[in-house]
Amino acid sequence: MRITVNGIAHELEVAGHETLLGLLRERLALTGTKLSCERGECGACTVHLAQDGARRSVYSCLTLAAACDGGEVTTIEGLSRGDELHPLQRAFIERDAVQCGFCTPGQLMAATLLLEQNASPTEHDIRTAMAGNLCRCGTYPKIVQAIQDVAAGSKQTASHG
Amino acid sequence: MADKRFVVTKVEVEGREETKVVEVPAFEPEPWAENAQLDVVGQCVPRMDALEKVTGRAIYTADVRRAGMLHTAIVRSHVANGKVLSIDVGPALEMPGVRDVLLREDVGDIRYDSGLLFDATIRFAGQPLAAVCAETPHAAERAARAVIVKIDTAPHAVTIEQAMAPNAPAVRSKGNFAKGSPRVTERGDVASGFQAADLVVEREYRTPTALHTALEPHGAVAEWNGDSVTVWESTQGIFNTRSDLAAAFGLKHTQVRVIKDYMGGGFGAKNGAHASTYIAVALAKKTRAPVRCVWDREGEQTDAGNRSATVQRVRIGAKKDGTLTAIQVDAEVALGVGGWFAGPGKIARELYACANVRTAETFLYTHTGAMASFRAPGHVEGAFGLECAMDAVARELGMDPLELRRRNYAKNDQEKGRAYSDKKLDECYRLGAERFGWKTSPARSAAENFTGAKGPAVNSRFRRGRGMASVSWSAGGGPPSYATVRVNPDGTVDVLTGSQDLGTGARTILAQIAAESLGADIADVRTTLGDTERLPYTGNSWGSQTTASVGPAVRMAAEDARAKLLDAAAQMMEASPDDLECRGSLIRIRDGAARKAKTREMSFAAIGERLGDVMIIGQGMRGPNPDDTALFTFAAQFAEVEVDMETGRVRVLRIVAAHDSGRIINPRLAESQVEGGIIQGLGYALFEERALDASLGVPLNPTMHDYKIPTLPDMPTIETVFVPGSDVTANHTGAKGLAEPPIIGVAPAIANAVRDATGVEVTELPLSPWRVASALARGSTERA
Repeated sequence: MRITVNGIAHELEVAGHETLLGLLRERLALTGTKLSCERGECGACTVHLAQDGARRSVYSCLTLAAACDGGEVTTIEGLSRGDELHPLQRAFIERDAVQCGFCTPGQLMAATLLLEQNASPTEHDIRTAMAGNLCRCGTYPKIVQAIQDVAAGSKQTASHG
Repeated sequence: MADKRFVVTKVEVEGREETKVVEVPAFEPEPWAENAQLDVVGQCVPRMDALEKVTGRAIYTADVRRAGMLHTAIVRSHVANGKVLSIDVGPALEMPGVRDVLLREDVGDIRYDSGLLFDATIRFAGQPLAAVCAETPHAAERAARAVIVKIDTAPHAVTIEQAMAPNAPAVRSKGNFAKGSPRVTERGDVASGFQAADLVVEREYRTPTALHTALEPHGAVAEWNGDSVTVWESTQGIFNTRSDLAAAFGLKHTQVRVIKDYMGGGFGAKNGAHASTYIAVALAKKTRAPVRCVWDREGEQTDAGNRSATVQRVRIGAKKDGTLTAIQVDAEVALGVGGWFAGPGKIARELYACANVRTAETFLYTHTGAMASFRAPGHVEGAFGLECAMDAVARELGMDPLELRRRNYAKNDQEKGRAYSDKKLDECYRLGAERFGWKTSPARSAAENFTGAKGPAVNSRFRRGRGMASVSWSAGGGPPSYATVRVNPDGTVDVLTGSQDLGTGARTILAQIAAESLGADIADVRTTLGDTERLPYTGNSWGSQTTASVGPAVRMAAEDARAKLLDAAAQMMEASPDDLECRGSLIRIRDGAARKAKTREMSFAAIGERLGDVMIIGQGMRGPNPDDTALFTFAAQFAEVEVDMETGRVRVLRIVAAHDSGRIINPRLAESQVEGGIIQGLGYALFEERALDASLGVPLNPTMHDYKIPTLPDMPTIETVFVPGSDVTANHTGAKGLAEPPIIGVAPAIANAVRDATGVEVTELPLSPWRVASALARGSTERA
């Protein structure tokens, strides 16, 4: 299969049972994407998959690697451009939307896709879009603030531009 | 005391008091009083490891990769009680990629929380029976499923009622009542206390088994090098893990190196070597390869600790003016197959002034996974019973529940008669009530508020209510803890201490303490934690201990380094050290200094450059605790809820939490801690409960979907208030712990708010829609 991960093209042979998460973590050593429930319940393994003209977030633990043939995957390692952090990464740091950090990569992948699809989400939109990403430390209030900061910031930029 | 080099001191961890002989530090820094002018401590410094966490670069245990590393899967029992007749690993060993198995006879007698590892006597569904290791996780999982286990099953006792029944199946050879049960504690005379009461309230409360559900499960990676082993472990206690492993494998402590860099939550369940640790180490030894063993989610939800289920009968006697005359708690606590006595009685013995208190706690073994400390163990369970019963007393008296609590304010430690180092619960009440608007419910009169009328109706279906609860928790920390602070040639500063950051922010606040003491720019300070081989000892990160235990050690080390740095600078600047001050990584002549100096200021980097390889190293330790002093933290928590009177669904709208934990080192990180505790408390109040099939003895919801923890849509507005202060009697930083207090009062505050909204008491957690709806139905029948 061919798969592009964070802009790097790979040509790989995968077993039928192999998940995208297993491919990322065990074969490509991209361990930023986390395994926690392994059944699509917690969101810690969330990544972006662009395929057949559509871009969506997927639970990589439930996505078969073979089904991503021809797709482009973005993981947490591909979110920043070199040393330049994604605005949401900066906002997560500024708002302290991070405690133990284990769910954070999944939260960020879900949040970045939310803002890609809806540049000015209401609080309700944020709560709904992020409902599938669990955090046991309780960073939720700060996650909402971080997303709102970035949404407000980009609105400002847009109106000035 | 000062003339002795070593003294005896007491350290209280989660209600368990230990006596230790500890060294008296060579000097004690001047305490940071409440009005001390501090530059870095008290600032919202961003979390230092956040960059690694938001970029995915932080390496957690399961992310550790070693050359040739093997992966493990566990064969578990699917019955709660029985005897293993045989284990056939033949089919598993023949599968591709499989390297080895680990059985009872391979490990000897290794004891962990849930008993003997791979015990042939099965005591709970989920008990590990064997492990398989293979070249990939998938191969290991497939092979584990191919292991054939024959079991002679037997009847089980998984609930409190089953365990206490006559002729109940025995969980342990000596029966189901843990040795020392019931644990009875009495002060005064409750019988005469109840006689003297104008009113007695009695209720039975039930709390569920709650699961820690850390996002990162328990796990370890082990690698042997000759006769020494290195273990990467998701743990709250690297040194505890080291001594556990040394004992189990007959090694010297120095033959075991435990490393913990990042961990995905602990919440009390990761306090030493776990079954996964022993399995990784044993398999690594057997296969001569590095081995990773991480629990899968089902393992984590069944065999990694839990908060004990309880049944509590609470009786409170009071005078008409609200004065408490007696408190009695009789409780049964389900430990599972093992654990320690974290009882719900302690908070009843300590929270309010009351001369006559009796608690009797019966700890029971059941055929379920062992309990483990879970954020304020015992207090969370006990606060639900005590604080709901206090509200019932207030209603009977027609008194403001907050006023009832104020009238029974404990001026000294009720259990041991000691003075408090500091107590600002009254300020928690005042500031919390003010922020919440406790007295000023817009829709109802004061009388309506507190006489048991239903809360204001939003419309015909939804009603709103308000409730509160008080919190106390011993979180004063103590020795031993050691730290080194090193000023590097480039002027940067290293804080080296063998503590753990679970996500609490310990890395950041320890750096702040060092920066403050040393006069360094916080951007120049780095904290290195979590390595038994290379860092000085500190205790476990449990019991809200780290800030108050390790903080003072770091401060002393930084003060020691500062003195040396000033001496070196004085030489270079031809000034007196007394005329110098450090701030922002600069040493300069103090304003108004008497003598003239050659150089006005030097940066740490310039001094470091001049010193070259000559190092500035400061050493610090945590001194003893003050004698006969109770080191406690306090809080008052307020909740507003909306109840759907048709479905029984409870929505928490708002929580206000006012906390007294002494000095707050970093308000933003502290706020995160409080929010986290409240959110876990909200889960405990509304959703969380391990469901068991009582007839099959197996857990029904060992997943994150069926064991529901709070999600973002469940979030109320949370407002945190920190009572200003600095507990300089407790330690010279003035700071106490904050990890556990925020969870304690949440469930009773919510339950009291639900009572306020509906006029009906729900005495069993969690307040699931069906429980609330049936209580509402019962309530309306009773009234009719």
